[in-house]
Amino acid sequence: MRLSANLGYLGAGLTIFVAALAPFSLYGLFTKGFSSLGLRVSETYSGGPKVRTIQAVGYTIDIHRPVSPRILQREKPFVQVDWKPANALPVHVSDLVDIDGDGKPDVHVDFNVPKDPKASLRVNVVSLNPIYEEMRNVGKEKFSALIVRVDNGILVRVPLAP
Amino acid sequence: MFGRLATNSDAKLVNMASAFALAEALALGLMSGPACVASCGPVVVPTLLAEHSGLRLHGRYLSTFLATRLCGYLLFAALAWEFGNLATLPTSARSLVFGPIHLLLAGALLRYAYSVGRTCDHSCKSAELVTIGAAGNHRIPGAAALGFLTGVSLCPPFVAAGVRAAEATSMVAAVLFFAAFFLGTSIWFVPFAALGWVRRNEAVITVARMAMVLIALYYFYAGLTILIRKNTYGF
Amino acid sequence: MASKILPAKESRSIGRSFVLTIPIAIWSALMFTAYAHANRSQWIASLITVVFEVVLFFMMVWTRSTYRWRRRFFVALGLLFPVGFIHEVISMRGTMGIPIEEMIAGRTPFCFLPIPLLILPAALTKMLVFPGSILPNGGMSGGGMAAMAGIWLAVTIVVGKGWCSYACFFGGIEEGVASVPPRARVRKIDPRWRYGPWAVFLAMVLLSLALFEPAYCMWLCPFKAVSEYVAARNTVGVVQNGIFIVLFAGLVIALPLLTKKRTQCAFFCPFGAFQSIFNKTSVFDVRIDKSRCTPCVLCQKSCPTMSLTDESIANGKTLMSCMKCGACVDACPRDAAVWHIRGTEVSFKPERARLMFLYAAWAMAIMFGGGIIAEGLATMLHIFV
Repeated sequence: MRLSANLGYLGAGLTIFVAALAPFSLYGLFTKGFSSLGLRVSETYSGGPKVRTIQAVGYTIDIHRPVSPRILQREKPFVQVDWKPANALPVHVSDLVDIDGDGKPDVHVDFNVPKDPKASLRVNVVSLNPIYEEMRNVGKEKFSALIVRVDNGILVRVPLAP
Repeated sequence: MFGRLATNSDAKLVNMASAFALAEALALGLMSGPACVASCGPVVVPTLLAEHSGLRLHGRYLSTFLATRLCGYLLFAALAWEFGNLATLPTSARSLVFGPIHLLLAGALLRYAYSVGRTCDHSCKSAELVTIGAAGNHRIPGAAALGFLTGVSLCPPFVAAGVRAAEATSMVAAVLFFAAFFLGTSIWFVPFAALGWVRRNEAVITVARMAMVLIALYYFYAGLTILIRKNTYGF
Repeated sequence: MASKILPAKESRSIGRSFVLTIPIAIWSALMFTAYAHANRSQWIASLITVVFEVVLFFMMVWTRSTYRWRRRFFVALGLLFPVGFIHEVISMRGTMGIPIEEMIAGRTPFCFLPIPLLILPAALTKMLVFPGSILPNGGMSGGGMAAMAGIWLAVTIVVGKGWCSYACFFGGIEEGVASVPPRARVRKIDPRWRYGPWAVFLAMVLLSLALFEPAYCMWLCPFKAVSEYVAARNTVGVVQNGIFIVLFAGLVIALPLLTKKRTQCAFFCPFGAFQSIFNKTSVFDVRIDKSRCTPCVLCQKSCPTMSLTDESIANGKTLMSCMKCGACVDACPRDAAVWHIRGTEVSFKPERARLMFLYAAWAMAIMFGGGIIAEGLATMLHIFV
């Protein structure tokens, strides 16, 4: 048989071997390889990494790193602030939040916490620092301006002024 | 003598400040270049693929595209200086400006796709850019229209440059700032000329035309939702 | 379509067919342990699935034909995937619509269709423009994006664009629909429509990079009708969701009924265009033996994706869009269309080439699609058992 034919059959045999190996080791190898590439989910969805935690009475306020829009995204830059745990929050939350950690409050956030975790939420944000935009009675308009309940936390995203 | 010395020092400071501002604009442009290329990609790539092959022709396309894009930039630079930060314009004004721009972009792409089909087929030798209209005796290359329309579209790097340009001391300074920014971003477009090496056949031209239509539909939809002041996404 | 094929080739002996089926039977039994759980309906469903897979493979070996048996598996996969998936979605969320909370939480299940759209943004920014999780994250995140990427890579290495005939859990729907009418009402299709998937691929890749989102998923995927979609909050959202319903009705139901072709796959699917690239790396392909070809173009007529043209037949090859479904091989009355291993001579032991391909492809199909079929069956049985 010619060399090319031999190589062809070798390739075909290897293909069957790979198919047999796939569920036992290959698939796991590829999965681990992919997750070790250092990729992250777009911060427009994930909200960016947490950078600081403020301790309040009975709950915590997590501040995330500001997220900048990419390219043509219609989303504005925003900063995500989480209140956790949701089941320990008072019926009405009204907090002054120092987002940039300079010791001065940047925004005043207030929202009601309904008992039903599936009930919709609305938030008012008064800006004390012109970097952050005001929000009035905002629900979940867009990824960069919203209030949602995710697992046992209430997330508020405050858009940044351009 | 003291007054003359003060004037010379002031002039030097102004020159240094201007040079620094231009360098800043160039650096901002270089950093924003990939974002500009990505945002212009949907317009540039299919239209380049629809042109005949050839490095020279593609160089001409890019020069035309960038030249009219510069015109768009400079127009906005002048407006940014005149009216202040465009991003703080009321929503109604913005939707009246950017909605039609998107619709025009969609129209230009559709016209382009149609015009490609009407020129001689890929096998005939033609060193001319695809034209999409006429002004008097002059045919308007599609690259020119698309370049201008992408130049006046607002993308985040453009907004950042606009914010800085609005702080300039004069309109000339604002325009120069945008020109330097433009130069920085334009360097990133040069590699697109390599598409001139891709051999053209029915498959490539048809794919390019169909892609243009799809992208035009997106811009049409986006323009419409901006015009009626609704979110492009209803989610 | 190959459902109107000429009488089958001479069958292999039953004993020999049985022996050749043994490796697949052992493989299926191994996979059974992965499908079956303590739940009685899952156990029964898994058993039915294993028997189904083994019987189909036996028939492929015994009758020396591929297409009609592979199609049964593929249609079952296409019909049962939505059953299991939609049931799971509604059990977990109460709705097929993905709320924004789930997207923020990274619990959007990841299917293979956006894979080509994520490559450029990930390469340039190290970010995945999909609201999922890389590793399992509860809820509908399933095995995570890494798991689907792993499966995709494994199956693609083995079968190239055969993914579209053995693994895609959407394609079976239109293949089933296309097989319903006895003959095509629309026979003349402009061959330039074959470039559609590449146009959609180009447009979606460019828009995904510009918008930093999976543009195909957000705007054009017709299969949201049978899986899930982003929950609409207002009229604009309803219009956007209307787009995919129209595309599903047109490309997956109406056009396959009229043309008896897999129109979504052949004229639209950007993932299919992407997978076509891997046909260049696959060891197995389908060739035309020019010494035997008349040409009667029955292969061309039977191909569900128009992957054979007069020119390609004259060159002895299929186009790169070939999905390795076997329709042309089974339709050819002169055994001119044959399975082939690269490097070997065309028509040199094509049956050996076919069997080697089937062992690899069927193993992958059982590993991936078999579990999905079992899950769908279990969902249906759960109501009665």
